[in-house]
Amino acid sequence: MELQKFTYDNRLSNMFLWATVIWGVVGMLVGLTAAFELIMPNMSGNISWLVFSRIRPVHTNAAIFAFVGNGIFTAIYYSTPRLLKTPMYSKLLGNIHFWGWQLIIVLAAVTLPFGLTQSKEYAELIWPIDVLVVLIWVVFGLNLIMTMVKRRVKHIYVSIWFYIATWVTIAVLYITNNLAIPVSWSMSYPIYAGIQDALVQWWYGHNAVAFFLTTPVLGMMYYFVPKASNRPIYSYKLSIIHFWALIFLYIWAGPHHLLYSALPDWAQALGVVFSVMLIAPSWGGMINGLLTLRGAWDKVREDPVLKMMVVAVTAYGMSTFEGPMLSLKSVNALSHFTDWTIAHVHIGTLGWNSMMNFGMIYWLVPRLFKTKLYSVKLANVHFWIATLGMLFFSIPLYFAGFTQALMWKQFTEEGFLAYPNFLETVTQILPMYHLRAFGGSLYFIGALLFVYNVVKTAMAGSLVRYESDEAPAKAKPKHKEGWHRALEGRPLQFTVASLVVILIGGLIEIVPMYLVKSNVPTISSVKPYTPLELEGRDVYIKEGCYLCHSQMIRPFRSETERYGEYTKAGETVYDFPFQFGSKRTGPDLAREGVKTLPNYKPDSWHFNHMMNPQKVSPESIMPAYPWLAENEIDLSLTPAKINAMIKLGVPYSEGYADQAVADLNAQAEKIAAGLQASGIQVDKNKEIIALIAYLQRLGTDIYTTK
Amino acid sequence: MATDQINKNRDEDYEIDTLTNDRLIKDHSYDGIRELDNDLPPWWKWLFYLTIVFAIAYMIRLWVFQADDLVQNREYELAMEEAKLNQPAKSAADFSVVLLEDPVSLAKGQETWVKICAACHLVDGGGIVGPNMTDEYWIHGNKIENLYTIITNGVIEKGMIPYKDQLSEEARLEVASYILLKLVGTTPATPKAPQGEKF
Repeated sequence: MELQKFTYDNRLSNMFLWATVIWGVVGMLVGLTAAFELIMPNMSGNISWLVFSRIRPVHTNAAIFAFVGNGIFTAIYYSTPRLLKTPMYSKLLGNIHFWGWQLIIVLAAVTLPFGLTQSKEYAELIWPIDVLVVLIWVVFGLNLIMTMVKRRVKHIYVSIWFYIATWVTIAVLYITNNLAIPVSWSMSYPIYAGIQDALVQWWYGHNAVAFFLTTPVLGMMYYFVPKASNRPIYSYKLSIIHFWALIFLYIWAGPHHLLYSALPDWAQALGVVFSVMLIAPSWGGMINGLLTLRGAWDKVREDPVLKMMVVAVTAYGMSTFEGPMLSLKSVNALSHFTDWTIAHVHIGTLGWNSMMNFGMIYWLVPRLFKTKLYSVKLANVHFWIATLGMLFFSIPLYFAGFTQALMWKQFTEEGFLAYPNFLETVTQILPMYHLRAFGGSLYFIGALLFVYNVVKTAMAGSLVRYESDEAPAKAKPKHKEGWHRALEGRPLQFTVASLVVILIGGLIEIVPMYLVKSNVPTISSVKPYTPLELEGRDVYIKEGCYLCHSQMIRPFRSETERYGEYTKAGETVYDFPFQFGSKRTGPDLAREGVKTLPNYKPDSWHFNHMMNPQKVSPESIMPAYPWLAENEIDLSLTPAKINAMIKLGVPYSEGYADQAVADLNAQAEKIAAGLQASGIQVDKNKEIIALIAYLQRLGTDIYTTK
Repeated sequence: MATDQINKNRDEDYEIDTLTNDRLIKDHSYDGIRELDNDLPPWWKWLFYLTIVFAIAYMIRLWVFQADDLVQNREYELAMEEAKLNQPAKSAADFSVVLLEDPVSLAKGQETWVKICAACHLVDGGGIVGPNMTDEYWIHGNKIENLYTIITNGVIEKGMIPYKDQLSEEARLEVASYILLKLVGTTPATPKAPQGEKF
């Protein structure tokens, strides 16, 4: 058999690697800032673009798409050519992919802090950036698929299966979840509303975890764990079964983010059972990772690369067990909306994703720069600091989540809520927030040691730009193959097969929510927002209120006593996008406007509270939003917003757009006059007026008829 | 499911991994990465089967039996009914609205004040959204019964919500007493201008 010679170009994997390092530090620093803002609410010094609710999406997007994203691409651009024995198909496509992705990250960083957001978690980017993401994703996919077409190795290895599934599924998810009607260059309304929007979003949100934070990282694991340990993969059979089971089952699990919400029972139940069925397929990955190290545990003790990967895979196993547990309704009744969720995701991100990235980079830099790791000792210190930091981060948050959930649900013997004041439950867990910030600081210090170590390593060597290799041309298999082996030899069919497998769950869950009317029963008293309320809603979205306040009262006695009647699907039909939220750092606001409920506050309270929360509640950890009394609503966009709503099916009368501004002004004047009577001078065109109008409307529709 | 079945391999397709004595699949080598022919761990398989059985049973409980704990509205209604049945009477038989002067009641009253009332009247009672509670001016009267009634039923149009469903009779009386005995006559940091009539 004649061997063909070819060369790998390490330039792109090297570039992605350093992007991973840089964005990793940035993403963690923003996260750390957010953690400190929770214990020092006005740390941001009234600078609007530094406030918690504006930077929290910067942290999540940077951690997911910049840090883990670039890490994944590092792995893909390094491993794919070597596994297929051919260089990446196109340097041009690779360059467009790299620079396009970095541009997206920079655009995210200069839009999100300024309130340019779609408010759907991990899908906050505004529509023009979404378009760019899709284009770059296509470029990446084209490069990956064409490399497979040009391969010399007949069969594709399990890492590549996971890369394929990642590419296909993220494309489907991202496009479906971001479909929207643009109102201007920086804003749009999603085509879905309320509970339907929520279902699509959490189908996306959960599978961003599944297909961006999990499958490509499993692909990474399948390459770098056997490489770093020089051991064979434990079980090829397990690879097959757990791969297909994982991608088929994962796509169904999204509704577990909406347990005890207005989502129909059948959809919630599917979310529960598919999450539970995910335990074994997820653990299949963990087993194949850990058991690959059989016979190499002595190496694990010495080598920080393997140590980090072992902790990563173990953290993966832990969080994929915890996830299904959190999907059980009885557990979720406690955990949802609390810090428990934050602890859970950080086991995944700090443990699984970051440790895999660190391990890979510690392994890769010495190879790319043909030298030795600058300091193995320092890498070991990093390992211990990171592990400790992770524990200091998550254990206090588990405790905080559990404590707060119990306090929310506690009744006195007389049948009153034991902690009617929400703030009391926050003050109780504040010490845990301090510990979390300490844990986060440790983790960050570890990351700085990592940067120092890899930079020193790179400086000691020089980049090996080209590596030559040789392999025989692709040959037909010698004897008849089983069906799966045959599929491994046909990457295009493999891609189509994974597309079909991931479409099933999504279609079965989402389509009936649109076609079957009984899933969202109409409530006749629910009316569209007034133009002022709509503007106020956009302010609410812009400021990121949903990041700390839910708008979803769950059907529990402890919630209906505190917040009023639980939220009905039919109440959410004009909510483009939905604002259920996923975390209650502050109280639920779904019925903030209902005057007969315990949480009702007059306009003047809202004004004073937004200007200076600590003035009305000294122990509050909400930051001030003084700019709301300075910024004016952009009335030139109001008619376009109304027209977009009409297009989406909101029953404003025809031509209402022309009248909208006049109606808006009339309502705003009334609120401003009311505030003036309470001694507050504020112009009627300010954002605060619109926000107050929106807050006072919340949840009132089904109460007006009572 | 063994690889033999999936992929029709023959004995000569295997080598032995010396460290574990497991079979290596011969023609599986990717950039030097080999794969073993190990079977699925039995406990893993059983775990998977078990979760599938759980899933089927769960959906049957919902779709066929409409189990109470899976039909959300029913679960809520049952919980509310149960709470109603088990709830002691909210009104004590010997309760009457009289000014409480003992330090324990006043301390409890202060606790409620700080936790709940201060949001609108400030901790020192100076008033911000709600009126100043330290001066001699009263909108609804300055008797303990007046205060108790306002706390109980609220003044909804002004933004004062009723507390009858949030605070026990005892707690409402304690905080009313605290206002009259401890707040009135003090000097707050930023007193709100007087409202109502002088008493």
